[in-house]
Amino acid sequence: MKTRLPDHGPLETPRFWRTLEERIETPEAQQAAHDEFLPGVVPTQDDDVHGLPVQDGFSRRDFFGLVGAAAALAATVACDRKGQGTIVPYTKRPVEIVPGVANFYASAFQEGRHVYPVLVKTREGRPIHIMGNDEHPGVKGKTSPRAMADVLRLYDPDRLRAPRLEGRTLGWMEAETQFHKALQTAKNAGKSLLLISGAVASPSRKALLANLRTALPTLEHLAIEPASGDAAEEAAKASFGQPVDIQPRLAKSGVILSLGADFLNGENPEALAAWGTKRRLKNAHEAFNRLWVLEGPLTLTGTNADQRLPVAPSRLGAVAFALAKELVAKGLPLPPGADLSAIAAGIPQGTDLPAKVWSNLVQDLRQAGRKAVVLCGAQMPAEAHQAAHLLNAMLGSEAVAMQPAEPLATVKDLEAAARGMAEGRYAALVLWDVNPAYTFPRATAWKDAVAKVPFRAWIGQVPDEAAAQCQLLLPENHWLESWDDFTTAGADVLQQPTIGTLYDTRQGEDVLLGAIKALGGQAPASYHAFLKERWQQSLPTGTSFEQALHDGLLKTESKATAPAFMGSSVAAATRRAAESNPEGLELVLFPGFATHDGRHANNSWLQETPDPITKMTWDNPVSVSVQDAQALGIQEGDLVRLSVDDTTLSLPAVIQPGQAKGVLTLALGYGRNTGSVAKGVGVNAFPLMGLDPASANVRKGVRLAKAGGKKELSRTQSHHRMEGRDLVRSLTLEEYADHPQGHHHGPELVSLYEDQAFPEHKWGMVIDLAACTGCSACVVACQSENNVPVVGPEQVARGREMHWIRIDRYYEGELENPKVVHQPMLCQHCDNAPCENVCPVNATNHSPEGLNQMAYNRCVGTRYCANNCPYKVRRFNFLEYTAYKTEPETLVNNPEVTVRPRGVMEKCSFCVQRINDVKIRAKGESRSILDGEITTACMAGCASDAIVFGDLKDPKSKVSQLVANSRAYRVLEEIGVKPAITYLADLKNPAVEGGRHAI
Amino acid sequence: MHRFDRAFRFVLPAAAVAILATISSVGWFTQPDRFAKGYAPEQPIPFSHELHAGTLRMKCQYCHSGVDRSRHAGIPSVDLCMGCHKVTRTDRPAIQKLTRIANSGEPLPWQRVHTLPDHVFFDHRPHVNVGIVCQSCHGEVQTMKVLTREMGTRMGNCLGCHRDPHASLPPGSKITKGAEYCAACHR
Repeated sequence: MKTRLPDHGPLETPRFWRTLEERIETPEAQQAAHDEFLPGVVPTQDDDVHGLPVQDGFSRRDFFGLVGAAAALAATVACDRKGQGTIVPYTKRPVEIVPGVANFYASAFQEGRHVYPVLVKTREGRPIHIMGNDEHPGVKGKTSPRAMADVLRLYDPDRLRAPRLEGRTLGWMEAETQFHKALQTAKNAGKSLLLISGAVASPSRKALLANLRTALPTLEHLAIEPASGDAAEEAAKASFGQPVDIQPRLAKSGVILSLGADFLNGENPEALAAWGTKRRLKNAHEAFNRLWVLEGPLTLTGTNADQRLPVAPSRLGAVAFALAKELVAKGLPLPPGADLSAIAAGIPQGTDLPAKVWSNLVQDLRQAGRKAVVLCGAQMPAEAHQAAHLLNAMLGSEAVAMQPAEPLATVKDLEAAARGMAEGRYAALVLWDVNPAYTFPRATAWKDAVAKVPFRAWIGQVPDEAAAQCQLLLPENHWLESWDDFTTAGADVLQQPTIGTLYDTRQGEDVLLGAIKALGGQAPASYHAFLKERWQQSLPTGTSFEQALHDGLLKTESKATAPAFMGSSVAAATRRAAESNPEGLELVLFPGFATHDGRHANNSWLQETPDPITKMTWDNPVSVSVQDAQALGIQEGDLVRLSVDDTTLSLPAVIQPGQAKGVLTLALGYGRNTGSVAKGVGVNAFPLMGLDPASANVRKGVRLAKAGGKKELSRTQSHHRMEGRDLVRSLTLEEYADHPQGHHHGPELVSLYEDQAFPEHKWGMVIDLAACTGCSACVVACQSENNVPVVGPEQVARGREMHWIRIDRYYEGELENPKVVHQPMLCQHCDNAPCENVCPVNATNHSPEGLNQMAYNRCVGTRYCANNCPYKVRRFNFLEYTAYKTEPETLVNNPEVTVRPRGVMEKCSFCVQRINDVKIRAKGESRSILDGEITTACMAGCASDAIVFGDLKDPKSKVSQLVANSRAYRVLEEIGVKPAITYLADLKNPAVEGGRHAI
Repeated sequence: MHRFDRAFRFVLPAAAVAILATISSVGWFTQPDRFAKGYAPEQPIPFSHELHAGTLRMKCQYCHSGVDRSRHAGIPSVDLCMGCHKVTRTDRPAIQKLTRIANSGEPLPWQRVHTLPDHVFFDHRPHVNVGIVCQSCHGEVQTMKVLTREMGTRMGNCLGCHRDPHASLPPGSKITKGAEYCAACHR
């Protein structure tokens, strides 16, 4: 089968680069490009007899001698049929379980105000994989990388397994007695109690808390989300008079202006889906949107921008208000009461915005009108948020939805609470799934304040910094063991347990229900009963709780009215924006991609997923702009001292192209003191947070100095480098419109091998680089599906990470503001695979369905295949990464995929277990396989639908049609290996003089 | 003594014996299914396939109900046995033991007779669904008082049938070959 790619065009190779060394072409980088493997793999010394390289004094001859002896021993030992093991059937088999068949349950995962309706794949009662709920009208079967990885937290061996009182393990009966006694004492004395929890997104939890307050009138409740951005909360209260949940509706967008907003980072599957739909062009004449990004750090959204302009966060407010002023001049009406007189007309000072670009931006917004939307990053200062609210109100934007939300306590409220505790105002403190001992900026003050509270209880899963300060520890269920419900746009969502409790734990809500009862209030037996009763009271006719539970949701029409913008709030914000000038260096603190606010820090899957921009794993170095690094003489990996006010951190630095001059960025959620994975990874950045909620995440007057010394970074961006070949292609919309087939295709080489025959199927994949945002959801989905091991920071630093799919991030152009393209790279399943013909034992060969298959039990670990792979996607098990693990960690493994031992090679299998399963099911039902029936884990995980898998033999399949797209190319097609993966060139839509505009 | 006497009398016979011993021991060690055949471990309940599948003519799938839906045929759960044995043969010690287990809910570990290495993912469904009878691989189970292994699960046994399956397939089947590529079973 031969798929002709579009015609050959002129050969022009855009100069893409991934690391600074590559771009500057240092001799070290050139050497590194030649060395396939990093130190530790390459022999370090020469044999003194033959002058041949040996490693660590252990020669190849010794090795074979030992292997021979071991094989002989193994052969005699293996000849034994004793102990074939046992089969233990169910004593009473649950009707829904057939051993070997996966069951799917609808549930939901909450992270801050974000709610992710999910489907949980369970095998024999164990949840093993999480994907989005396809019934939900918003997320449509997609979810976030952190939601997918959270299944690992269920099996975290660090979880607290029974209640504990001052270090002593005790039963629930006694623990609850202690708990109730403390609450009762406080109630009787009329003293205040403080309950701190995460965001309340559940109506039932809200009702429960209201009941608790009735039973315990002196209760004070704070809901905190330390990484969600206090400034956004403050700004919403100022602009709308109430807390608001802001959801982009990108499907309706023509022009998007992001003020440091990172809505494409994977956290918001709905936004990604809409983005993908807008970007997957069939031809140059389809409607396209345009994304403008003004930001200080380089965010994932910034890398996907059509036009990106580096602007320091402290100036964002001024820039946005100046834009509003320009739009007023162009005839857009200001909301009543709004006053922009504090803002000077024209481009604000202190920004290097070119006049031409500025006028293009104004014109774009004006033309797009209701189809324009302005989104502001949660960490940006409050005035920038208020400016965004004003702009959206002026434009009457349809592409953003505002929902009233439950209030969140800011750092100021927490500080007041700490003061209250220090003054002895509280008789009891209950911490529920929060860790203020770690997240509160003044940890010592917090510790001293907490010590003044007579009774301190902690409800949570893994004992953390806060647990260390509490007397009574109550172990909580994981969400996969719990009941809950949530309100989302378009549906009310149910969370249901998918496994019984693994340990002697209870749901936090159940603990509080018990407290209500003990305090003399009325409460049902369990939170499940409480929630079910509430649902059954409000269910519309023709629906049932059971059906809602099956679907995981009940579709609803949104009743909430969007809050009105208050023009009177503008004047004060403009004054703050006008006065906000950069002072020295400016530090932006944002939630870690892997760790968020630290709650995921104990999740090794996430710790090892490379950060989409810096490609860092297992660390949070401070990112420095290219200009500042030059000025301060900082190089990659240099240890630096970072000081804000009187707090100083010592940490490594990385240089970040594209970051605005004078801006530093640092991820929160690292530097934890507890947890076997989290402990000691990176540094804790929370002490650098400000106590003014309006600008808590943006600190000015930061000092940065070299501390001397260097740290080896566990960074994957220089691994598997591709020596400057034309691997990634990016077109502007203009180029694409002018030359629909304008990018070149190399001549196909003559092959010495006969063409492979594919009698029935030929599996193939298409990856649309225009839709891929680089969010790395595919990496996590693959890790979960294929039992991909975690290797740890030292191994990653040696280039031994095991991910079957990686996202290569390429820069192009100027260092100060490069264009960025993300390219998912996985086994290309070449028809003429170079790995296959070098394998001495035929462990890797071709299937009649086009799969480059890997038989682990045949592999002897020569690594020839990895050396010969032009795409560098083969992964070798240098050490025993998984086999030594015991329960509960092993329970997360997918039983359909082999757990690979040390010494074998592995790589992407196109999820052959899923292909085989669908094939067998279709055969059993005497039908052919439907297009789209087989999904690989990466495809199912990709929220922007950039990845499409299917049968290339079927001309009607989606994948066959996409292969014929005029943007199609194959990576390294000139070497004639005939990969089964086709890429579609990236598209950008910058505003060009005389060019086509968006919308 | 002739100078070759020593060689003819001692060295050559000893060498011949050594060579023969080597050949026969290697041959014996490497014979197909050497340890596979005849394996019949003692089970916690002396269940007789001869009685249930032979005399009573119960269908295999009555108990091994996962076979057409799942990769695994499955061992029946204890409550399935109790469907009949609540009233049948309740005087037998084995049935009394079974009843005890069913009531207490404790696990019943059966000894595995047919086993596969970890890196093999055999799937019962495509085999059973095209009409291959259980006996093709598991032997004449309906005649076994104690379940005994008749055939080893070597790859050679799999491939023998996959290359020429007509003997195992029902008459009239159009299938001429089974999958022979690695990823069909190894992944």
